[in-house]
Amino acid sequence: MQRRKVYLTGVGFISSIGNSRSAVLDSLKGLRHGFASYPPFENDPKADVKLVSAVKDFELESTDFEDWELPPPYKIRREYLRGLPPHGVYVHCAMQQAIEDAQLSEEEYSNINTGIYTASAGSPKSLYHNMNRMRQLGPMRCPPTGIVSSISGTLSFNLVASFKIQGSSCGFSSACASSGHAIGFAYDEIVLGRQERMFIAAGEDLNYESVLPFAGMRALSLEGTPSRASCPFDTKRNGFVSAGGGVVLVLESEEEMMRRGATPYAELMGWGQSSDGYNVAISHPEGVGLSRAMELAISSCGLVASDIDYLNAHATSTLIGDASEGKAIKEVFIDKGACPKVSSTKAITGHGLSLASALEAGIVGLSIAEGITPGSAHINEVDPVFQGLDIIQKTENQAPKIAMSNSSGFGGANVSLIFKNPN
Amino acid sequence: MSDQTQTTTDLGSAPAPGSVELLKDTLKRCSPKTIDAALKFRETKDPSLVSAIVLGIVERFLEPEMAEKLNSGDDSLNLMEDLGLDSLTMIEAIMMVEEALGVSIKNEELISLRTIQDLKEFIDMKMSGSRTESKGVFYPLEEIAAEMPHQEPFLFLSEANLDRASANGCYRITGQEAFLKGHFKDNPVFPASIMLEALGQLAVFSLLKGQIDGLDRSSVNASEVYFTGADGVRCSRICKPGETLDLEVSLKRLHLPLAVFSGKITVGGEKAVVVEEITLAFAQK
Repeated sequence: MQRRKVYLTGVGFISSIGNSRSAVLDSLKGLRHGFASYPPFENDPKADVKLVSAVKDFELESTDFEDWELPPPYKIRREYLRGLPPHGVYVHCAMQQAIEDAQLSEEEYSNINTGIYTASAGSPKSLYHNMNRMRQLGPMRCPPTGIVSSISGTLSFNLVASFKIQGSSCGFSSACASSGHAIGFAYDEIVLGRQERMFIAAGEDLNYESVLPFAGMRALSLEGTPSRASCPFDTKRNGFVSAGGGVVLVLESEEEMMRRGATPYAELMGWGQSSDGYNVAISHPEGVGLSRAMELAISSCGLVASDIDYLNAHATSTLIGDASEGKAIKEVFIDKGACPKVSSTKAITGHGLSLASALEAGIVGLSIAEGITPGSAHINEVDPVFQGLDIIQKTENQAPKIAMSNSSGFGGANVSLIFKNPN
Repeated sequence: MSDQTQTTTDLGSAPAPGSVELLKDTLKRCSPKTIDAALKFRETKDPSLVSAIVLGIVERFLEPEMAEKLNSGDDSLNLMEDLGLDSLTMIEAIMMVEEALGVSIKNEELISLRTIQDLKEFIDMKMSGSRTESKGVFYPLEEIAAEMPHQEPFLFLSEANLDRASANGCYRITGQEAFLKGHFKDNPVFPASIMLEALGQLAVFSLLKGQIDGLDRSSVNASEVYFTGADGVRCSRICKPGETLDLEVSLKRLHLPLAVFSGKITVGGEKAVVVEEITLAFAQK
């Protein structure tokens, strides 16, 4: 039976490497990173983290949402703003962008055939602030939106209400694979004929409470030089740079896309997922879960490994994580005589956790549409463990035909997505 | 971006409860006029400031065109339909009113506030301590049974309504009460002693759930409240199955561990029983 086809028809980026499609494209072409020092860490001896990957031009540090400042043209009504965590603001703006990018009218996105899947771990900062206030002043002196602006379903609650979404909605919480799962299950929702259109909305705060716990896990790079702080596949990689932001993708069935006469970025051909069953926070050293996710994705699309000509790796610039992904890639591709180009765009975006997979899916879609293959920045010397992989260090002016994007989260949750150039 | 000290302080501690800092922080986006009125009110308790404070707080949540409407002076404006406030915004506003005026507003009270006028009158009554707004708190049988030491088949209170100084209730005589078989043979009459008991039970319930000045109701030990006396009992009407006893007791005196009530029963408006004094003795936790 012929499976329904699903297309990526809209993208909204609020990210450290740009708050628009064109800005992100420029950053990818020039491999310009989005890292900067974070003022709250600068004079804090406890916070030995030099660089973060923060969104520019948004001012969301205050615990009082009415202090927040958004760059033009963005404006969020108070009744929507009060329910948002900081990353909800990024995502709300990315949603506006994606709707405009896909050229959707309100009737087209607010109906029973359009749903939204979200990925967010909630806002530890909002949660901490609200709980602290509750303990000090009692629950009756806490904002009534304290919960909906804090917990991990926050993006679903807010976006469904403010954009009047009437189709499927729920949130995914598998750490750094969250938005990969959201994309995969949104694809299924359309393939199964339950929905014609799905938004995928993913976001992550960037503040004291969102970043530093990862320093406690020894997962962050403490380097102050951007090219040394995030350098996936390099011998001297030593941890990732935390990223915040919001990304929204629009997926549509082929019929709906044709009906609207929309231009796709790429076809989302299919996906695969698998779990390591190994460790709560460390990826399997042989990459067994990830290689199975990639194989499942390839076979579910009726492809063979050699059909994939570009792989956007999960590689976050950690010693163990990158190496295990390298082994998985060898097993799935190199050992079968296939050799896709490989890069990790986290070298310039940093690692956005729940945001990561959606950001990279957006980057892959944009690359296909704009005729580039993004390079892997900041490599001084490729670690010998990646020998045999075709890691491209510069952005190439040629679009991939079929691209794969990987994501792995805590507990060894792995997702692989496959995108096809529609031309 | 804010400096780091600021961030940490924000998260670390809210201003102390009841402090002027908390009041200022709570009202920081209200007009200076509103904040001044609230600060002045805190010192003087001058009731003429209340209206300006309440309207200033409501205005802070309104879109500019709605604020104009509010200031037109039309008190019949509906808070939700005319001014566009939703129930979450009402909670936000009420939190500020509570902080500014030192009153406490319950959810069920909040629901009944529909217009600017409702809001003004309600706050006025709260401030003056007037009881005209208070129809008391209603308790259905389930809640009564959950609180009372008395249980079936010896609970003679079907509903209760508790007010600060008096308690009303009723008991519906079903005819299924076992003692009616023998009181009397072929002539069921509700016993006067049980009517006295019903008044006593209403008095017990008001000790446990009512708001009696000088008594912390949570200190009353529900399992040890005893009937110690009744004076001036007059029964003037026979009560039969199918009739409803309307009960009323009022606290006359409180001398711990004794509480003295007066009581009255009517049926369909007709006087049935009058008791000058019912005395209860109770243990405190």
